[in-house]
Amino acid sequence: MEYFFFIVRRLMWSLLVLVGLSIVIFMIARVVPGDPARIALGPLATTEQVANLRHKMGLDRPLYVQYAVYIGGLVRGDFGQSLLTQRSVALDLRTAFPATLELVLATIVIATLLGIPTGVLAARFKDTWVDNIGRVVSLLGVVTPSFFIALLLQLLVGYYLHFLPVNGRLDPSVSFTPDITGLVLVDALIRGQPGVWFDGLRHLLLPAISLAAASLGQIARITRSSMIDVSRKDYVEAARAFGIPDLVTTFKYMLKPSFIPTLTILGLEFASLLGNAFLVEMVFGWPGMAAYGVRAILHKDFNAIMGVVMITGAFFVFVNLLIDVLLGTVDPRIRIRGARS
Amino acid sequence: MKRVGITFLALGAVWAAAMASAATTVTLNVVQIFGTIDPAKVTDYTGYMAAVNLYDGLVTVDKDGAIQPLLASSWEASPDATTYTFHLRPNATFHNGAPVTADDVVYSVKRLLAIDQGPSYLFKGVLGPDSVTASDAHTVVFHLQKVFSPFLATVPLIFVVDSKTVQANVKDGDWGQAYVADHDVGSGPYMLESWTRGSEMRLKRFDNYALGWGKDPIDNLRFVVTNDEATVRSLAASGELTMTSEFQANETYTALAKMSRFRVVEQPTGTAFYLKMNTQVAPTDDLHVRKAIACATDYATIRTTIYPGDALAGPLPAVFKSDYLDTLKEPSFDLNCAKDELAKSAYAGKGPIPLTFTYVAGASFEEEIGLLMKSNLEKVGFKVSLDPEPWNRITEIASKVSTTPNVTEVFFGATYASPDSMFFTQYDSAASGTWSSMEWLNNPDVDKMIADARATTDPAQQAAIYKKLQQTIVDLQPDAFLLVQKVRHAMDKCLTGYNYVPVQSFDYNFHNYSWTCGN
Amino acid sequence: MSDLALSPSATPDESSRHRAWRRGWYRFRRNPAAVAGLVLVVLVVVAALGAPWLAPSPESAGTFVNFGERHQPPSLHHLFGTDNVGRDVFSRVLYGYRVSLLLVVFVLGLSVPFGVLLGLLAGYYGGWIETVIMRITDIFLAIPALVMALAITAALSPSLMNGMIAISLLWWNWHTRLIYTTVHALRHEEYVEAAKIAGASDAHILFREILPNCISVISVKVTLDAGFVILIGAGLSFLGLGAQPPTPDLGTMVASGANYLPEDWWESVLPGLAILFAILGFNLLGDGLRDLLDVEVS
Repeated sequence: MEYFFFIVRRLMWSLLVLVGLSIVIFMIARVVPGDPARIALGPLATTEQVANLRHKMGLDRPLYVQYAVYIGGLVRGDFGQSLLTQRSVALDLRTAFPATLELVLATIVIATLLGIPTGVLAARFKDTWVDNIGRVVSLLGVVTPSFFIALLLQLLVGYYLHFLPVNGRLDPSVSFTPDITGLVLVDALIRGQPGVWFDGLRHLLLPAISLAAASLGQIARITRSSMIDVSRKDYVEAARAFGIPDLVTTFKYMLKPSFIPTLTILGLEFASLLGNAFLVEMVFGWPGMAAYGVRAILHKDFNAIMGVVMITGAFFVFVNLLIDVLLGTVDPRIRIRGARS
Repeated sequence: MKRVGITFLALGAVWAAAMASAATTVTLNVVQIFGTIDPAKVTDYTGYMAAVNLYDGLVTVDKDGAIQPLLASSWEASPDATTYTFHLRPNATFHNGAPVTADDVVYSVKRLLAIDQGPSYLFKGVLGPDSVTASDAHTVVFHLQKVFSPFLATVPLIFVVDSKTVQANVKDGDWGQAYVADHDVGSGPYMLESWTRGSEMRLKRFDNYALGWGKDPIDNLRFVVTNDEATVRSLAASGELTMTSEFQANETYTALAKMSRFRVVEQPTGTAFYLKMNTQVAPTDDLHVRKAIACATDYATIRTTIYPGDALAGPLPAVFKSDYLDTLKEPSFDLNCAKDELAKSAYAGKGPIPLTFTYVAGASFEEEIGLLMKSNLEKVGFKVSLDPEPWNRITEIASKVSTTPNVTEVFFGATYASPDSMFFTQYDSAASGTWSSMEWLNNPDVDKMIADARATTDPAQQAAIYKKLQQTIVDLQPDAFLLVQKVRHAMDKCLTGYNYVPVQSFDYNFHNYSWTCGN
Repeated sequence: MSDLALSPSATPDESSRHRAWRRGWYRFRRNPAAVAGLVLVVLVVVAALGAPWLAPSPESAGTFVNFGERHQPPSLHHLFGTDNVGRDVFSRVLYGYRVSLLLVVFVLGLSVPFGVLLGLLAGYYGGWIETVIMRITDIFLAIPALVMALAITAALSPSLMNGMIAISLLWWNWHTRLIYTTVHALRHEEYVEAAKIAGASDAHILFREILPNCISVISVKVTLDAGFVILIGAGLSFLGLGAQPPTPDLGTMVASGANYLPEDWWESVLPGLAILFAILGFNLLGDGLRDLLDVEVS
């Protein structure tokens, strides 16, 4: 019961944060110098045309009225029209968001699949060369700007080795619209098109690896230190003393508890992961939220900017909520801590 | 797994090749997305590119800027040039098979003026909602509100939509905007097949096109949206790309020229590149300061190293043959001249003269020109601050004298095939407040000459006025005339028929192209 | 250590603090990563301060073009090659560190005092003050800093100054949260309670009793932050929203150099490595300090 209230409280709070975010970003977006009406009309429009369109778009009404109208639409899932693509922002986001989601999911998979073993190995062979290499790799992952990793991979793997494609989500010769889930790899499987699936994977690898480096480093670091902590615990010592094989102790008794810090780190890292996704997407011409968002920002496309920020914020809040709930399931102590703060 | 994937892809390529031998497909890249395909709302190069292939106007423009029949097979103007009568081709149909009638033309004009976006600004004070009438099913009459001699040159920008289909899809009195945004309701040479926003658009040939088809037409068009040079090069290498955009980097043209399949086609254009100087604010309100800036411009480096182009001597590119003043001298780079001029100015002798210089953020050649100008201008006594701005911000700051920078790098090309488009839009005081008139020239003599030319229907007399006008503007030096843009495309040697047209994206009307290698 | 003990002016308290420092320095020296971090940071600072003397072509940082020498590969004459207008990339990297450090000083100088103050207030007073302050930080945390900075910089129009303001507007909340947690734990410590009973003012308790105990946490956080500020600043200018030309900005250099990949790789890769070095240095140094001062920062 207490757990239920914890979730409800967390949900309410997340909603409140999103409302706050919408106010902040609405203010920022509307004080921007730049007239969306003029932009929509093209550079040669007359002043009179601009004034007409401003009126039609409601830009001459007081700010709070504009905000109320906007929020009213938002509740109905209506983000307004984009100036640039001349269609509803919701529709644009429906294609842009899955692209980013696919990239982020792939990143998390890579970061955990490589990060945890690196951490385990480093802990298992603490203070040997294995550990040192693991630590240097994780450190470099954390401190290298993701766009720089992206550039280097593009240069080495894409240009010099011609091994993987360096731009876009699918080869232009592949005609495929991911219209089920929006994720190329999933939709290609559902539609039974292995060629498309493989091409999608090839395009996904480099951006996902560039983006995964930072999280991978953090996960490896945290796994290592938590494994070392756990290995000093009595029950692990006992297990060893009972002659239970090393591998079993490592995986059964030591690795399981270290999932908690890994999850926590993913939650903390998620904001910077999304931010970095903006940079990496630009480098690889990935048709996600970043390409859309950066273009919107440069063209002062209010509704699109709002849409991108709100969706990014909602995504972030949702993932953290999910992680909190997961952690609450794994470790009840966290619920209590969460409920108090 | 990898092997399976490769085999699969290879099969796909073989299949694609097999298809290609049956029908010719031209794949070209464009560097920005198709914002809209509604012909009443298009403003940019991709928009017009879609419109000119999907829709027809009453008339069109050829490579010399001459007006040619399209939906109208003939037309005549009244002696006082206020009434134009167009006779429609009887056999033209829309893509859905419905005939193109005079009512469709009337509706299209009303729709354009009511939506009040896209090319409608051209018809302010010239056409009203009731100016166009249908006298029978195939005759349309335009009653102009005033004499406007370049009128015929603006008619190609009126694209005709299928009024019945649009009217059937009107929602809340929106003139069918929601519908036309995604659907093609035209009679043009190509039909919309598919459109994935942000990545590609496919068009297919309209068999029953009114003008008919010649030998070896292009059957399918595929526009791929990418501004990434590496992607363009790899598409070209894989044999997929037929034609590049006109905006590739030098390196890409060079790389493609080395592939045996491609040739680089280069043609002069009607688009000029200017350094527009604000003649209303200090220090560029002083003629000598403007002359000094023009002298401190290193034209040769800009034209040869930074951005290939032809020399430009005055405000009008040479493409307007009959109206071009060929006695103007090419400007030259001379720092001593710059120093002398500056010494004669009212701002001399008071320390470095501050100067604001703006260009489009992100365009590396514009930044290079900015850095070159800054370095030379500071040698002769200016203090230059470079302010790159995104393009839409430039259109914003251009709306007021006080926010218009001293110098701005701007490309300007005719929007309709008349010198009037170059002069009125850039130099007439009635057109001030846009990015194309950042000089704020406001000169009564210039205004008068532009008005006189508009009211004259005699071509010789018009040419005389335009020649005098060019000399007047050069003497006022509101711009440093950098260059005439060259348009460059790398294209497959089999693709022929490309010709630069001095209006919008009319050079991308693929009805004019053919595939000469046979199938 | 003995000479310290002999020194008559040293009170027992001071000498024990001194001893702690010495022990710390000893531990620090034995940590090669931390020493490497210190060396890198010193190098970066020296490069930035000494740029006018160290740069082989100081004019490359300012108004200078040489179209005859554009896109030259690295050589003895141009260690890092030249860029698209013929400027010496090595000189621009040295000056680029100035911009990066200016960013760090500005952002942290503005946001740390502000964030710390709010954290102190929220942690010490609790109640509605805590609720308001901490809920605002939650809102700022709900959106990736880079995305928010992007929106703010775009609103203000891109420039180095506006980039710095945007990052400062986002940065304070991290310090608020950190100090809040620390103070929350400290406020019922005996010495705080004692000061309260003795009738000390809130200001005295906050700034004289509690703040000094936060100094080590803050200094570690600030060192680590320096790296992250450089990182986010580089991201912002990589997207074209940072310092404007011809100001040498490392992120901008990477972005514009990337136009000439793969042939002219030095124009983007070498400035990118320069960014990496600076961030690596601050990170290693921060980690070393954390071990040294034995504090928890995250």
